[in-house]
This record gives sequence, structure tokens and C-alpha cells, in this order.
Amino acid sequence: MKAMRSLLKARELPVFLALVLVVGLTGVANPTFLSATGARDILLGVAIVAILAIGQTFVIVMRHIDLSVGSLVGFASFLIGDLYSQGYGLWGGLAAALGVGVLVGGVNGFLVAYLKLPSLVVTLGALYVVRGIFNDYAFGRTITAAMVPPEVAWIGLNRIGGIPVLFLMGLVLVVVSGFIMRRVRSARDLYAIGSNPAAAELAGIPVARRVFTAFVINGAIAGLAGAVMLGRFNAANANSGLAIELVVIAACVVGGVTIAGGSGSVWGAFLGAILLQGITRAIGALGIPQFWQQAFNGGLIILAIAFDKYLSTRVKTTTIMGSDDG
Amino acid sequence: MGPIKSTVTVPVLTMEHVAKSFGGVTALVDASLSLYAGEIHALLGENGAGKSTLLKTLAGVHKADSGEISLEGKPFIQGGTRESIEQGVAVIYQEPSLFPDLTLAENVFIGRHLLKAGLVDWSEMEERSVALFERLGVTLDPQSKARGISIADQQIVEIAKALSTDARVIVMDEPTAALSSKEVERLFTVVRNLREQGSAVVFVSHRLDEVFVLCDRMTVMRDGSTVGVSMISETSEPEVVKMMVGREVSELFPKLEPQIGDVVLQVKSLSLAGQFADISFDVRAGEIFALAGLVGSGRSEIIRALFGIDLYDSGTVTLAGKLLPAGKPAVSMERGIALVPEDRRQQGLFMATSIARNVAVTMLKKLTSGFRVKRLDEESTARTWAETLQLKFASLSDPVERLSGGNQQKVVLGKWLATEPTVLIVDEPTRGIDVGTKAEVHRLLSQKAQQGMAVIMVSSELPEVLGMADRVFVMREGRHQGTLERVDATPERIITLATGGTVSV
Repeated sequence: MKAMRSLLKARELPVFLALVLVVGLTGVANPTFLSATGARDILLGVAIVAILAIGQTFVIVMRHIDLSVGSLVGFASFLIGDLYSQGYGLWGGLAAALGVGVLVGGVNGFLVAYLKLPSLVVTLGALYVVRGIFNDYAFGRTITAAMVPPEVAWIGLNRIGGIPVLFLMGLVLVVVSGFIMRRVRSARDLYAIGSNPAAAELAGIPVARRVFTAFVINGAIAGLAGAVMLGRFNAANANSGLAIELVVIAACVVGGVTIAGGSGSVWGAFLGAILLQGITRAIGALGIPQFWQQAFNGGLIILAIAFDKYLSTRVKTTTIMGSDDG
Repeated sequence: MGPIKSTVTVPVLTMEHVAKSFGGVTALVDASLSLYAGEIHALLGENGAGKSTLLKTLAGVHKADSGEISLEGKPFIQGGTRESIEQGVAVIYQEPSLFPDLTLAENVFIGRHLLKAGLVDWSEMEERSVALFERLGVTLDPQSKARGISIADQQIVEIAKALSTDARVIVMDEPTAALSSKEVERLFTVVRNLREQGSAVVFVSHRLDEVFVLCDRMTVMRDGSTVGVSMISETSEPEVVKMMVGREVSELFPKLEPQIGDVVLQVKSLSLAGQFADISFDVRAGEIFALAGLVGSGRSEIIRALFGIDLYDSGTVTLAGKLLPAGKPAVSMERGIALVPEDRRQQGLFMATSIARNVAVTMLKKLTSGFRVKRLDEESTARTWAETLQLKFASLSDPVERLSGGNQQKVVLGKWLATEPTVLIVDEPTRGIDVGTKAEVHRLLSQKAQQGMAVIMVSSELPEVLGMADRVFVMREGRHQGTLERVDATPERIITLATGGTVSV
């Protein structure tokens, strides 16, 4: 009963219902949408955004943002293929990808946490710096299928029990990080920091250290997600990952990770990613011009924010009325 | 009772000769404070006397430059907020410091989540919170979010937080500033219980009447130093005020003989569903007209409606014989009404903007040529007002947020007085400001009234209402309960009316 009540109150529920609605209605209009291939298409497309959205959730709940992940994930995917083709093996490439992610996340985190620079600006700068270095490094080269480590290619091509491995990796990550966000003390601190930064300091939370760590983790996730991206596309070039950070942030916002910090879950962000991908596919399946897809997703972001605003004001007025004794 | 016990035991906390400066500004010169277990200790002083700095040193926000602090006989470690909490100090700040997106249970245990096998134990935290809330005599749902709960309940959660750390020293910085009298009573009961259980409670308040009702002992600070320590039972309000300001404040309410003139503002049968109903009154030139009542009785709502910020359902407002249109604050201003709002930080000032700009903002029309604001005129206008108001500032180009609360309030008053209104509306004009500035604000209001301005004052402080008003309009739950002339107004009568009784005059 109590579990039922908290489920109904969960911010993730409307996202889930919207997803069911989109998939159901499209399925009625175009039954191939609901076929195994159709569903797989959605799940395959969602994996990268979902994994990046997990890291981004850590950052957004602290009332920060990380725009650099698109450049990072692209660069990382290129590095893994490039280093493999030069004989450094899979692990050499993964180590380099992780290293770049941690380095960029660390620089972002240091500037935001200790020098108190706004994360929007810092990570916007990092977006361009990393993309610039990436372009210079790639210098017109592309990573072709032959340069992709076979293990990486394998995760992009195979399924377990009919479900794409890429999606399962994302799902496992969501389960693990969802648990961490709920049950680990230092992860709870991230919510406190985003909810009321000044009070977090007063409560003795090591705010700067937490902010720094969260950016490093997000960078690390983006670096490792490079492997997922390479596995998915089996290729990479200097434009890999371009503008994907915006899709990631959209997924978070639609999934109820409020940009004002303090609330939201990785499960919400995950559902948000699936919903956006579902709508993209649905619009294709319904034969609606592609142009509408972006407009629709944009509208959904605004709707999500309006909804959160409505929720928070509704909570406020009910309690004020309830406790007013004038 | 506490005080008797305290003479025979050792203090739980001693702070001796604490000094602290920020850059070139000295905040603490020679501050001392000692606390005994089982006492409620008032820390008094004007704004800027150093109370906050002293308490923040204890909270671990600031580190003292010199001085000795010991807690239960051991040297106090000034490491940071976490260290202070771990040593048993809990501070309940004036500004709410809860986390609106987190549940009440998590708010109680924030930063110190209860763990089981290394993982956050939600059910244990919720059970313990309920137990703490019960101990404090309230029923709150530990699973509900902190967003939107009343300030009184926020304080209860903060106190529960203090109890959960087994704090031996609990500091409350102006806890009653935003509470209704019923909520103040509940808070006092809780604080007395804390005393019974052996905590040392520091109580900071600008309301001396509360201090005399609640506290056992007091420490008075002035200009960064401790200037007096005494048993509450061995002192009196005038004596305390004298210690605080360092001079005799013979008249806290310098009321001048009013020159009552013609009716300037007429309110007839004003109603707004759910807020107030059938409100009628006249205000005359030269009169100070007070709207009294408990918090939530609809006083602020009426003035917001008559000024035009909110719409009303029915009724009329007439200014100088002409009907005032509803919902048009710009017209109200043009026709000579000024409203000094209650919440100066949010509604009254541009905090990051200069003092000069803030004072001049209501006169932009006069100070503009074409699209350009005449900077020099702005400066000189502001300077004239700063002198009239006896404002204490370093430079007129400093942001307003750097001023003390009392001086900020003077800036708000100044910018509205500069428009030379015929009707001045002030909502809680002296909330949270020190005694000295209070008297100056009162003097100013009294002067302006004598010069023919009609003043409508909303105030929760009875002494202020009694000391300043020519007539008192008492409200309860959105309705008029009775009007008292100055000679008939007594605390008892106002409270009786405000709580639903009747009085015969």
C-alpha cells in the first residue's frame, strides 16, 4: 500500500505513462512499430544517451550542468579505435578514453568546485576545447569498421535474450547507479547541495569535494561511453558525438531531473531518454516529416519544466493553507 | 530552575576575549560568552554589535583571530561546520536552512544519514524523526518534502536536527521573527523542554518582551565587545536597552502631537474572497493609522489590494475624493500613495545595486533627460536623503546588500518618502532591525505625519502600534473586529479583539 502510494506520487510515473501512450498509439497506427525489430531499434538508439544521462544526473541534481560530454564521448570513441589500430589493444584504448574523461572532468570539477566558476560557462568552454583538440588529432581521418576492436564491435551487434547488449549495459548501469543515488550517503549529499547550496555548507557537507568528484565521475562515464558509441556505429570521425550533450540534458529534464537541482533520479533520466527516442522513432513510423520530431521533443522539454513548476507550487500552496492559523 | 543550578556547576561553554576582523573591518573586539547546562541564555545587542559573528565562530563558519573557546572543559576545535556539529553545537539560523527537495527525515539527518551495512537506512531515519517530532510535540510526516512547510515547522525540524546530534549547545538566531503568537508559544514550550533536558540554549531576539518571559540569563554585546552579563531577574528592559545602545533611549517612540486634517483615503466595503471581507475605514491627513491583528489576519492583503498589487472582488478605494482604479499600482503611485513592503530583501530593494540607485529609482522620471539618467542629480538626491535618514554607509556607490538590516530599511523608506506621497503605507516597518534604528524610523514616521502625511502602518509588534498609532484598526481572520482610539488602546484590548473577543470602551 505504502509502496503503491509512493509509486503513484513518483515523478517518473507520468514519463512512463507518456512512453506507454506514444508506443501504444503508434503501434495501433503502424503495427511494424511494435515488432521486435522496431523495439530493438529504439533500445539500440537509446543506450548511449541513457548512459550519458546517468552521469549528467549526478551533475544536474547539484544544480550544475556539464556540456562537455558530447565532445568527450566522441573523442573517446575515436581514441579507442585509433589506438587499437595502432596496436595498443582494446585495453590501451579504453585506458586512454577513461584518462581523457577523468582529466576533462577533473579540470571542469576543479574550476567549478574550487574556483566557483559557473559550470555552464566552464563546460561550454570545455566542449569547444575538447572538440578542437579532437579535430586536430583526427585531422580528417576516420575510424572504419576494420579499426574497431572486435569486443567493442561485438557489444554493438549482439543480443542476449533478444535484447541488445548495449541496452542491457545501460540498464545495468541504471540499476547500479540508481541504487547508489538512493542508498549511499555521499550521493545523497549531491541532492542536498543542489537543493540548498548554502545550507549544505552549514550542515557540514564537504560541498567542493562532492562537486569535484561528481564532475570526475561524469567525465569518466563519458570516456567509457566512447566504447559504447564506437560499438553502436562501428565507425567514428571528428564529428562523432556532436551535439549529443543537448539530447542528454533533454532526456534528464523530460525525465524529471529538474535543472534547478535537488530532485530527480537516474531512472527518470533513463525513461526520459527512452521517451525521446520513442518519439523520434514514432514520428518516422507514422510518416510525419522529420522536421516535426525536433519541434516535438523541444515542446516536451518545455512541458516537462512547466510540469515541475506546477508540481512544486502545488505542494507549496497546499501546505501553507494547511498550516495557516491566522 | 536553571539559574540556580548554574551557579554551582561549571559552564558547558566558555568563549573568552574572542576577536575577529574581516579585511579591514573589525567585527569582534573582545567578546565573551559563557553558557551553563540547563539555561536559556539571551544574546542581545543591536545589529552590527557582533552577535552573528560570535555565533558563526561557534558554528564553525568563521575562525576567530584570537581568544579562547572551550567546550566542556576541552579546547574547542575551530575546524569548520562539520567539526562544530560533531562537538555538540547546533545552530538554527534566521534564514531557513532546510533542503526543500528532501524529505523531513532526510533533513533531520542530513550529512549524518543513519547507515545499516554502510547503506542509508531510510526506515530507521523515518522512525527516529517521528520520535523526535513527537518529543517536540508536533505531528509531521517524515516522508513529506520540506518544500512549503511553515516557518514554524521548519524550526521544529531544525530543532529535531539539533536533538538528533545530541547537541549540548543549541543556538537560535531570531527564531520568533516570522512567527505568529500561537507559534511563538509552541516554540517557547519546546525551548523550555530543552532546558529541562539539560541543553544550553542561546536565544537571540530583538523582542525584549520575549527575552524577559523566556530567558534565565543574558549577555549584552555592543560594537564587537561584551558589555554586560546579568540574570534576567536582576535587570529591567530600560536597563538592557541602555546597555545595548550605550546611551539612554528616553523615547523609543518619539510620538509628536498630530495635526489631524481631512480624510485623504477612504476604503469602503472592500472584499476579496478567502482573504478579507467588508473592510471600511477612512484615513486622515497627519494621522498614523495602524492595522493590527495576528499574522494571517489579512492586514497585508488589504494594503496590497488597496495599493493595486492584487485585485479585489468588491468595494471601492477613494483617494482625495477621486476613485482609485483597482489593480493599478502605477496609478496609485502617481496619485500619491507609497507602499513600503514587508520583505525588504525580496520586494523593496535591488540588493546588488548601489545605494544611490536604490534611493533614486522611484524618481527616475524627474532625473531623466531623454533616455539618459542624470548621474550627478541621482547622486545628489541620494545624498540629501542619506543625510535626512542618518544612513550609515561607506560610499553611495556600495551595493545595498552591504548595509545592515536597519540601514537597508532606511533606504527603502527613503526611496518612497522621496516621492513625497500623501499616503504612506508601511508593512512591518521595523521588523528585524535594531533598537537604535527603530527609534529613528519611528521619529521619521512621526515627523512625516506631523507634516501632513497620512501613514497606514501594519505591525505585529504591539509596543510599536501602541507607541505610534493615533487609531488602531484590529482585524481577525479577514474581518474588522473593532477600532481603538489612541487613548483607549491597551495591549489587552488589542489582543482581545485580535483573538475574537469584544471590548467595551
